[in-house]
Amino acid sequence: MHIGIQHYLAVSMILFCLGLLGVIMRRNLLVIYMSLELMLNAANLALVAFSRFNNKLDGQVLVFFIITVAAAEVAVGLALIVALYRKRQSAHVEDLTSMKL
Amino acid sequence: MNASLNFIGLEISVIGLGLVLMLADFFVPAERRRFIGYAGIAALGVLLIMSFSGNGTCSNFGFGFNNAFVNDGLSLFFKRFFIVAAILVLFIAAEFSDKLAAGSIAEYYSLIIFALAGMLFAASSNDFVMLFVAIELITVTFYVLVSFQRSKVASLEAGVKYLILGALSSSFMVFGIALIWGTTGTLNFTELAAVAPQFETSRIFLLGVLLVLVGLGFKIAAFPFQIWAPDVYQGAPTPTTAFLAIGSKAAGFVLLLRVLFTAVPSVTLHWEKLLIVISAITILYGNLCALPQRNLKRLFGYSSISHAGYLLLGVAALNANGQAAILYYLAGYLFTVLAGFLVIALVLRHLETDDVSGLAGLSQRSPLLAATMTISMVSLAGIPPLAGFFGKFLLLKSVIEAAQKSHHYGYIYLVFIALAGVVISLYYYFNVVRAIYWSKEARDLSPIALSAPAKLTAWVCIAGIFWLGLFPNTVLNLANQAATVFVAVTK
Repeated sequence: MHIGIQHYLAVSMILFCLGLLGVIMRRNLLVIYMSLELMLNAANLALVAFSRFNNKLDGQVLVFFIITVAAAEVAVGLALIVALYRKRQSAHVEDLTSMKL
Repeated sequence: MNASLNFIGLEISVIGLGLVLMLADFFVPAERRRFIGYAGIAALGVLLIMSFSGNGTCSNFGFGFNNAFVNDGLSLFFKRFFIVAAILVLFIAAEFSDKLAAGSIAEYYSLIIFALAGMLFAASSNDFVMLFVAIELITVTFYVLVSFQRSKVASLEAGVKYLILGALSSSFMVFGIALIWGTTGTLNFTELAAVAPQFETSRIFLLGVLLVLVGLGFKIAAFPFQIWAPDVYQGAPTPTTAFLAIGSKAAGFVLLLRVLFTAVPSVTLHWEKLLIVISAITILYGNLCALPQRNLKRLFGYSSISHAGYLLLGVAALNANGQAAILYYLAGYLFTVLAGFLVIALVLRHLETDDVSGLAGLSQRSPLLAATMTISMVSLAGIPPLAGFFGKFLLLKSVIEAAQKSHHYGYIYLVFIALAGVVISLYYYFNVVRAIYWSKEARDLSPIALSAPAKLTAWVCIAGIFWLGLFPNTVLNLANQAATVFVAVTK
């Protein structure tokens, strides 16, 4: 079987939807954060596949930017989640209720 | 490459300033660090004057970095706008410093400056890579700024909510960029405008554009991506909320304008219905949810959603007047919102709550602050002769022009919904004014001591609101010039 761009695109869309499902369904902040990274990597996969099949390198360059930015985001994000955990002794979204109407 | 560096002198200076302020932390004793902010304000003031005298690199029009970076009328307008916003926010931050962890204020100043650098890059981006990096620079900096009061659970919680939803919206945007690049083979806005008409029927391309708009809709807090705004506005430290309300929103709007009217104008033409519906729902949602609010910062959160809706009127109108009206409205919104947050920062910082009742008796405690808050509220509600009125007038005028031209009933409904929104908003804005002047709950009537910089900021905001309302020509001409960079969208 010849593997074409549509196969890669299908895999990346499935990964993206799995990540989105994880963000919506899971209740632990760390798992939600991992699902978000999965969504970003789905986009990376799509970019690299398009890059390979279009014979252009712009997409791969963009992937480097995305990986770098995601690393910065994770550094800040994990620090924040840890700070919240130390304050509340919990990393569950049900406990994020100090602000209501 | 070296020639390209001539275009980003302003951005390099701003990043350098941020680093200097951060390093100043080591050399200045903790109790004097508050004054580092005034050095930052002075430096930004010099950059602002340079941009008006024509010496700054932001007045050096042209393309740099392989067309990824552009200096034009629009970027010049927004760069001045962002610098003014950052200066006023630094003033508010200096007043607020005693509520932050001891000695951490210099770090806070430098984060504001780094967010400003991201906004300056956003104003000039002409490429999806630049757009992505600029937006992330703003967003990641704001994660830290929002959760800066680490001792307060509300601040951390707001930070985590902003983090999760912000990261979610950026992954949507990145996936959208991947789809756009995969179908068209270009990331550059100018090149994309040339090839976009061929891809109008490609579903993958349209999905890509839609996903990018999701990411931008999050930045401007438009329906249905507005869910974070009230919580984050309430939990964040007041100067952060102020910068979020004006800087982050304006950065979202400049990128939205660039994407819709420079990159994919041919697609935007077919999406007038979508834009009308989003604008109408955003206005109604923001105004209706603000009605029962007692928390002042949360009220501003909902009010900022409704103002995103009003600004989207100018986008939905799809004409040059609408785009110019957006720029004018943002200029008025800058002074109006910052006047409001200045009063919140000064009055409510000593109280445990952010409740509207905290303003009770303000007319006796500090007549200047009472007047500032009242003028801000009246301008937000859109009463003549203040800035908010003239901005709304221009936006509605552009929508009526669009209605006459296209005979689309949606535009007529949109005008009525916007007017209904204005009427609803009168109720909650005047509730605040009533608390200031006629509330009987006032317990503490001790006068509030104001520092000279705080008084100056209040007067600058009041002057800005009246100037834009009574003498609109100067800024309106600048806005009209800035809007000429867009290709005229015609059917």
